[in-house]
Amino acid sequence: MIGLWHYLAVAAILFGLGLVGFLTRRNLITMFLCAEMMLQGVAINFAAFARYHGNLTGQVFVLFILAVAACEAGIALALILVLYRRSKTLDVSAWQSLREVGVPPTIDLEPLPPPPEELADPVLPPAGRMPPSAKEAAHV
Amino acid sequence: MSLFAVRPDSSDSGQLVLAAILAVAGAFLLLPRPRGRWVAGGIAALLVAAVVAGLWIHRHFGEPGADWVGKLLFILFACGAVVFGTVLVAQRNPARGAIAFAFVILSTCGLFLLLAAPFLMAATVIIYAGAIVVTFLFVLMLSAANGPTGENDRSREPLLGSLAGFAFAGLVLFALNQAHATSRADQPEALRKWHGLTPLPTPLITPDERHLLAQAAEDLKQLEADDFYPPTERTHQDRAATITRIEEALGDYSVGLRSAQIEGSTEYGSIHQRLGGFRVDRPADAVLKQTEAIRKDAARVLARVESAMLSPDTAVHDEAKAAVRKLRAEVLLLAGAGELPARNTAGLGHMLYSEHLLSIELAGTLLLVATIGAIAIAHKKGAAA
Repeated sequence: MIGLWHYLAVAAILFGLGLVGFLTRRNLITMFLCAEMMLQGVAINFAAFARYHGNLTGQVFVLFILAVAACEAGIALALILVLYRRSKTLDVSAWQSLREVGVPPTIDLEPLPPPPEELADPVLPPAGRMPPSAKEAAHV
Repeated sequence: MSLFAVRPDSSDSGQLVLAAILAVAGAFLLLPRPRGRWVAGGIAALLVAAVVAGLWIHRHFGEPGADWVGKLLFILFACGAVVFGTVLVAQRNPARGAIAFAFVILSTCGLFLLLAAPFLMAATVIIYAGAIVVTFLFVLMLSAANGPTGENDRSREPLLGSLAGFAFAGLVLFALNQAHATSRADQPEALRKWHGLTPLPTPLITPDERHLLAQAAEDLKQLEADDFYPPTERTHQDRAATITRIEEALGDYSVGLRSAQIEGSTEYGSIHQRLGGFRVDRPADAVLKQTEAIRKDAARVLARVESAMLSPDTAVHDEAKAAVRKLRAEVLLLAGAGELPARNTAGLGHMLYSEHLLSIELAGTLLLVATIGAIAIAHKKGAAA
């Protein structure tokens, strides 16, 4: 029988995974999705407790989480758009000049691998001469 | 110093630590980095970590029960959520990550369904998988870069970051186990065998009791049938046996029918024993009153049925049947105590618009402000004019 504790354990693991993603990834959108995953973990907690206590308050809470997540998505999307317009990248490290005084900057030492070579456009051989054709005999 | 009054056996917390370390190693190997990553090794380490953690959870939180379908579905959805969550974290391509996130949402929705929250499931699918993920896919496609980029192929502190996350998850699991052991120690002896479900406060009705109550209701149905009463070919002993079975079923597990027959004794059934000293809240009180009422009614109704069995008068039979029907409804109500209402959406709407009306208004205002804010932020100066 699956009980309350199993749901709480799954929620904790989901929250931890989201935390890992939020801390380590540098793409703004991936970070946002990881934060949403943490919210999902919390929502599972609420729903499990609602089921366990036999009243709907936990589910109401999850509904409000959904509303706040929708707001958050709208604002985050707008912010990401503005940041992308300014720096032409989704990398958070592009904004590390906003860090606190005294914190050393992050410097990427390892070079990125070269981009994959683009395939050249296919070149067609030049067309041959126009085949000789019998002059049309037109007798008008 | 111990936070809890009971110090649970934490000798095998090493298993949890092992799982966390393996998960950190796996995440470290899998997180994107310019020099390439060891995908096979990372996946293997994460799988071993998942198995170790799963075994730990299984041993501490639950014995498998009879509900195979529910268990299977739970395992399916839980594994889906965790696996696709890992893909989201480790995937280099953010568009594929967004798709994985959609699958995390779908798995979570399955868990919601198992938790008797169908409205939440629908709302989550619509809002997350339908709106948020699609919007973010738009942005991803618009800003797609070709070739390796700093944001997708580099990680920020992969070792420390994954250590923080998995250490957090391990600590939460450890604390859950402590709370679990403490709540188990609070339980009366008879309930300790409910290893998997021992909850923070003791449940109103345990599944075992629920099963027995449902069976008693089935037996009561026999008393409502026409062929139970004379003149039919059923022997009197047969009828008496059925009644005895009902008495035992109602008496054994909880309601205390049998103990009520002992003069001057205040021995109660197991529901009373479990709830009496341990819960003082209103639902528990209601359940105690229900059991009390059933105890009295059952004695009365069964006596009436026994006298009706001896009489050939059909009017007496009908009266007895009506009384049995009422008793059966009470038993079924008790069996369903502590469950969420079957009409989830109606219950949720009632709750929202009666108890949480102000919060609804606030949430609506928040959405409005967020809309205005999003437009104000993303607005390009001079573009609209």
